[in-house]
Amino acid sequence: MTVLDLQHVFKSFAATAALKDMSLAILPGEIHAIVGENGAGKSTLIKIMTGVHQPDRGEILVGGAPVVLRGTQDAQAHGIAAIYQEPMVFPDLDVAENIFISNRAEGALMNWRRLYAEAERLVEKLGVKLDVRRAASGLTLAEQQTVEIARALSLNVKVLIMDEPTASLSAHEVARLLDIARALKAQGVAVIYISHRLDEIFQIADRVTVIRDGSHISTKPIAEVTPDGLVHDMVGRAIDTFAVKTEAGPHGAPVLELRALGRTGVFHGISATVHAGEILCFAGLVGARRTDVALAVFGIAPATEGAILIDGAPVAIRTPAEAMAHGIAYVSEDRRKMGLAMTLPIFANISLASLKKLMGLFGLIDRKAEGQMAETYRKQLAIKSPDIGVEVGKLSGGNQQKVMLAKWLETKPRILIFDEPTRGIDVGAKAEVHNIIRKLAKEGVAVVVISSDLPEVLALADRVLVMREGAQAGILPIAEASQERVIGLAAGHDMRGAA
Amino acid sequence: MRLHPMTLRILALALALLATVLFFSTQIDGYLSPRMFTRITTSAAVILPVAVGQAIVVITRNIDLSIGSAVGVVAYLTGDLLGSHPDLHPLVVALIAMGLGAGIGAINGVLVAWGRVPSIIVTLGTLALWRTFLVQYSDARTITTASLPQWLVDLPQANAFTLLGVDVRVTVVLAVLSAAAMGLCLGRLRAARRFFAVGSNPDAAVMAGINAGVVVFLAFVLSGALAGLSGFLFLAKFGNITVVAGMGFELKAVAAVVVGGVSILGGSGSMLGVVIGTVLVDTIDNSLTRWELVSEFWRDALLGFLIMAAVTVDTFMSRQLTRFARKEG
Repeated sequence: MTVLDLQHVFKSFAATAALKDMSLAILPGEIHAIVGENGAGKSTLIKIMTGVHQPDRGEILVGGAPVVLRGTQDAQAHGIAAIYQEPMVFPDLDVAENIFISNRAEGALMNWRRLYAEAERLVEKLGVKLDVRRAASGLTLAEQQTVEIARALSLNVKVLIMDEPTASLSAHEVARLLDIARALKAQGVAVIYISHRLDEIFQIADRVTVIRDGSHISTKPIAEVTPDGLVHDMVGRAIDTFAVKTEAGPHGAPVLELRALGRTGVFHGISATVHAGEILCFAGLVGARRTDVALAVFGIAPATEGAILIDGAPVAIRTPAEAMAHGIAYVSEDRRKMGLAMTLPIFANISLASLKKLMGLFGLIDRKAEGQMAETYRKQLAIKSPDIGVEVGKLSGGNQQKVMLAKWLETKPRILIFDEPTRGIDVGAKAEVHNIIRKLAKEGVAVVVISSDLPEVLALADRVLVMREGAQAGILPIAEASQERVIGLAAGHDMRGAA
Repeated sequence: MRLHPMTLRILALALALLATVLFFSTQIDGYLSPRMFTRITTSAAVILPVAVGQAIVVITRNIDLSIGSAVGVVAYLTGDLLGSHPDLHPLVVALIAMGLGAGIGAINGVLVAWGRVPSIIVTLGTLALWRTFLVQYSDARTITTASLPQWLVDLPQANAFTLLGVDVRVTVVLAVLSAAAMGLCLGRLRAARRFFAVGSNPDAAVMAGINAGVVVFLAFVLSGALAGLSGFLFLAKFGNITVVAGMGFELKAVAAVVVGGVSILGGSGSMLGVVIGTVLVDTIDNSLTRWELVSEFWRDALLGFLIMAAVTVDTFMSRQLTRFARKEG
């Protein structure tokens, strides 16, 4: 008898299929792990199960009966709730209030004594010590998660989904969370445990499901799988979209060198050298803190330990202005927030980082030179737009990416960091961006690319640095970087012998 | 025993009030007299309901700047109505005043909750609109005591009770009752806790199945209704209502609320704090008019300073708290 059953679920967003014929059966009181690569469809799957999205086709059965989940409240009413990596708590309310905020079964009046007693009982059931009268604002992340789990328990859930619950927890806190998951299991609650960390999965899961490209690949009892087998199932894809690089290109002198670079509590021990004309790719699973390394090198969130060397000389980079003075440019992954002024025209975005060059009479901006600058890039990068006066917000994602690239190219960088350069842009534009990156390297720029898209990494990189949970898991020359090897390192399992 | 930060806040506030009173008693002759008590309490009573309403709106992470005009419009319209219908029962009159205010609040609420316009813009707009409406509607006529029924004219002087030779007026009791009732609701009513939830973390509130739009709308309706009550008390206290009635109340209400410890970022605050904050702001306001050393035109400057000081202390303290929490974790 299943407690939750997904049958042949399909879900698409615009033209992209996020879930294809996904089936999944959850048994009462089991800990069911789900693993998959970045973009395998885990998030969509969770959103389908919690009623945030509705399937295009297929059925959801709760306790054997078909249901339609119209929202989180609906899902909660059917006994399904989720907790996330970043807990959702009310900082100003106390722990007990946070636990019972969604509870509608209670009367109109608050009975504070009973509220605290009930909350204490729930927290105790999880085997945790927590003052239920404390305001939630002072709680650690792990404690906030406990509050969320207790909230789910107060709703009498039958299925609790944990989405990367341990991604930001310390080792001690992880052990406690695993104990909580076991306590839930002992009470007959089914736990769906989604994690990149294979060691945790082998510690607590009863069964494990692998999903890839939105489809169900396998579901097996944990005793019947090996870490190698899981990684193979997770990858299992033939790369055809892009040619895989097999040999590193020729390159010049070292330009950027990181020596045991770290930022307290965020990442540590990153060591790598990027030569002129070389492309170094940062691979890893989402949340491995790759972007934080880029932010440190670019001075947005400066490093607190280790050293950055440029042309062999140590430099201190504390602000983006200092980074730019050293010839570093950073093309952010978040175009909307950190990259572009969406309401400004193309030319104003391109000139933004190089306005000094355009200063004419009395320090006023030379509009003609600004226009020429933008026009040059429009042609060179093939930005598809009738003219350079169009608002950037009206362009497609790929063209926005090119405008952002133009802005940084105009600063004539010697070190160019790309963060997820092709996220959310179509295949054609992707190939164009790849060609631009290769051409820049050929011209002698030292290039760093952060990408969660493994085929992209293997198509661009001369060397691959794999990060895992804020640390360097390994650095591989492209000739040694197989898909299995990279994914294995990212998930904490080196497949050197197996591959 | 560990003190809750909110308890600490209220203790500090009470001490500040005590220090203010002691300071002025050395500066102004006959300051610690029953007459001065009556003067300050009756004046604070007019502000208290709007301050309570403002507090509810601020708790939901919004602000209501329109209340100054709302108080004026309600005071004028109610006075006008009494001129033509002097026989209305006092309770009915009070309810009509609150209903008018609630209507004004509902317009703000709809625009903020469902129109998705920031509350500071909506209420700044309605502040100006309602004042202009009042100027047009009144046609430069003034409501005078002569046109009001006797019970209303007598209301400000009516004593609820006398304690140790100090008179406590009916209007003061009315205002305190409204604050106490709202305080009780916010603390005890399950539905009222949603004001705090929405202000504390709007995203989490939606995830927890709370209809944030309805909550914000209700906050504005309540704020309007309480502004209506203030309008009624204003009419009773002054009797003569011109087009400038209630002008500047929004500044006093915001000052009372933030001085009273309601977080301007939403999510926390207590009615007891708002009551003390209102009394403190009004004590300073009333005392300055009698203080010979300083011109009374400094009153607004001092209000402005109080608002900034209170919020600065808040920001500073919460930053310290976060830092402290991080060290622990």
